[in-house]
Amino acid sequence: MIDALRHIGRIVFFVVVQGLILNRMDLWQGYILPALYIYGILMLPITTPRVVLLLVGFATGIFMDMFTNTGGLHTSACLLLAFFQPLVLRVLSPREGYETGQRPTVMDLGWGWFFAFAGSLTFLHHLWLFFMEQLRFTPFFSTMGKVLLSAATTVVLMIISQYLGYSGKDRRNI
Amino acid sequence: MRSLWQLIFRYHVFLLFLVLQGVAIALLVRSNSFHHNSWLSSSNRVTGALYARRAEVSEYLRLQSINEELARENALLKSERPAAFLKLSDNMYLHDDTVHLRRYEYSTAKVINNSINRPKNYLTIDRGSRNGIGVGMGVVNNGAVVGIVKDVSEHFAVVMPLINTGFRLSVKLSRTNAFGSLEWDGGDPTLIRMNDVPRYANPLKGDTVVTTGYSAYYPEGILVGTVESYRIPEGENFYEIDLRLATEYYRLSYVEVIRNLLSKEQRELENSVANNDD
Repeated sequence: MIDALRHIGRIVFFVVVQGLILNRMDLWQGYILPALYIYGILMLPITTPRVVLLLVGFATGIFMDMFTNTGGLHTSACLLLAFFQPLVLRVLSPREGYETGQRPTVMDLGWGWFFAFAGSLTFLHHLWLFFMEQLRFTPFFSTMGKVLLSAATTVVLMIISQYLGYSGKDRRNI
Repeated sequence: MRSLWQLIFRYHVFLLFLVLQGVAIALLVRSNSFHHNSWLSSSNRVTGALYARRAEVSEYLRLQSINEELARENALLKSERPAAFLKLSDNMYLHDDTVHLRRYEYSTAKVINNSINRPKNYLTIDRGSRNGIGVGMGVVNNGAVVGIVKDVSEHFAVVMPLINTGFRLSVKLSRTNAFGSLEWDGGDPTLIRMNDVPRYANPLKGDTVVTTGYSAYYPEGILVGTVESYRIPEGENFYEIDLRLATEYYRLSYVEVIRNLLSKEQRELENSVANNDD
């Protein structure tokens, strides 16, 4: 129960940070637009049921869309992320499977694993987000550059948040 | 029937995904229409209140530029006071109120949220239906066009600015009175494109572009921007003009909302004519 509250709290926290701070930052004249708010979804336990994951993704996206007046744009991208997250987890699972209580973090599963996990899902989310926002494919290379740079920035921010929220004692992190 | 249930059970995750994705895309498509009223926007209670709180904080950081802006406007208003004029003639003038009917009413609002780096940007202001703000009203700042009110709640309103790819407005070059239509391409928030300007328009760099007053949103002659560059694409008969926007969106703090008191009468009349033609 307390665990669930912590997960919900983390998602709300990162969506608010995204809406109030990150969306206002003008990195490289607005070319880089990190979407750190999906961090809360990626940090859900590895064993989360897929239906729950989809519903959480939907709610997160709706909340984000309220901030940015974008209708269902973020909702759509979050749903895609929530749908593929278990599939990516399965592909990346160690030979003996995940240990109980293991969390999808750098500390528990290592740098290589986390880059593959967060990198692929963040890329997928940003790809969908930026192309759905344009609703056309004409400026393909410019949009693709935006996707790649923004996704890379998001992953770096995720790792920073992970280390900022990590306390060694009880191995819990924000 | 049983096998159908088995099928649904087997693919329930994928089916749920499809249903939710359908809802999301329907919301997205609906939000692209010009006018809509929706709870899913920053004029709602939760996000509106959060934005208002943040604006309180960030306003302190911008007090200097806000002060300068207000001081400039004060100076302008003072120079228009009766006391600023020297009376040259003793002739009497009588103003009869039945001659002048108030057509436009201005009210001020504070910008509490503002995006400039998206293709579809929006502003949120801290005045809503309780202050008489309604969907479709024009918004200006320092005598230059900002946008149009798109959505209102009790205490907040969302404004669609010129720098939104869904925005359309008919404008004219004030020197030659040639008309054109505005469309933003989603790139630089300081430039906007004016299309369909006829050849005889003869634009020059630095010419001002103003509203036409054909639409019910703005009075005629409100500044939009100045001509930055112009060209006629090969094989075409119309100019494409790049304008430098008069409104600096990245430092917007206070705006004025224009209420057109006669817009209802104008629209009813136009609609009745259109209906009679059908």
